Amino acid sequence: MNCEDYKEAIAADPSYQGGEAHLSACADCRAFRDGMRSLDRRIGRALEIAVPDLRMPELPDIDTAEVVSLPTRRRFTSPAWLAVAATIVLAAFVGLRMVGSNVTYASLADEIVAHLDHEPYALRVTDEPVSDRRLAKVVPANVADMNHDAGLITYAQTCVINGKKIPHLVVQGEHGPVTILLLPDEAIDDAVQLEGESINGVLLPVGGGSVAIIGERNEKLETIQENVVNSVTWST
Amino acid sequence: MNSSDAGTARRRRFDELVGVFHQDMYRYAAWLSRDRTVAEDVVQESLLRAWKSLESLRDDAAAKHWLLTIVRRENARYFERRRLETVDVDDLTPSQQALLANEPDHELDDVREAIFGLDDDYREPLVLQVLMGYSTSEIGELMGLKQGAVLTRLHRARLKLRDGLDEEMAHGQSES
Repeated sequence: MNCEDYKEAIAADPSYQGGEAHLSACADCRAFRDGMRSLDRRIGRALEIAVPDLRMPELPDIDTAEVVSLPTRRRFTSPAWLAVAATIVLAAFVGLRMVGSNVTYASLADEIVAHLDHEPYALRVTDEPVSDRRLAKVVPANVADMNHDAGLITYAQTCVINGKKIPHLVVQGEHGPVTILLLPDEAIDDAVQLEGESINGVLLPVGGGSVAIIGERNEKLETIQENVVNSVTWST
Repeated sequence: MNSSDAGTARRRRFDELVGVFHQDMYRYAAWLSRDRTVAEDVVQESLLRAWKSLESLRDDAAAKHWLLTIVRRENARYFERRRLETVDVDDLTPSQQALLANEPDHELDDVREAIFGLDDDYREPLVLQVLMGYSTSEIGELMGLKQGAVLTRLHRARLKLRDGLDEEMAHGQSES
């Protein structure tokens, strides 16, 4: 990689991690990288303009009698593509007017287990880590301080659980992907086992919040649990 | 579930999603339009459209992308209906100026004004990447661009900002 290629990559994405060999030998590119990262921090602060209070428009009544509910979904053990294909077939069968999620969950644990079915694409086996930028965006400093000791993080997305935005991460375990949901505002007294078809998980109290860790049925979660709990510090 | 319960559940689902993503919707609309009043109108239209088509959101995990896609389309419709002129940074209306509201931190003002002055093609991918945390492939999907084009625009956006801010700083130093 030469200077031009490196600078182009960094200017397109300052969190770019490649080009280490070139960087170690080129002070000019190191300075360029530092400059771009500093610029990005300024850009990030500048973009966060004040937001006025929410003003909801007048919402017309919708005839929900014409809306058809989906049957409760089961968790598939087959590949993610098959789960997506099955959903598309079901959609074609009952028509396009469906409700994706109008169920009320009996408990936080139920909602967490159901959420796994919502993002089958998160559960791919891969060795590609998410970028530091992506991780910092999904786990911002005002929520938690988290490092990579939790394991190889291959998925990071902001999701909604119990009406709140929370970080949804996936690390690669020995037997497949392991889902981690960080729940800084969900305080629980004791650990809760999370059960579903072919999964094995736990909701652990961590400080004033909790963390859900769910893997395949044969995954030994103890080491991952310890790594995750040790790598998270709540900011709230 | 009877019709009344279904209606209540639908409204609750909508309110939860809006509560979580309203700030992202407004900020995206504001940086697309560069006008506070326009952004508020675009968000109102977007909320109405989202309410009417809530059933098309099959997976709440995709809510942010779904809502921002609606905002983008509503912003385009807004400008098409009104055939608004291109924003001239040197001749701002009070509503446009409100987006660049003076902060105690003048440096923040300078950066905002610099972002404000970028062409739409450069400003939008930058906002999506830095503020919304989108990957380049997600930006490409939303904007209808190949990943290479997204990378080029991001690269140019940052260089323009850097050069503009360096020039501003040099100008400020020469006056002092």
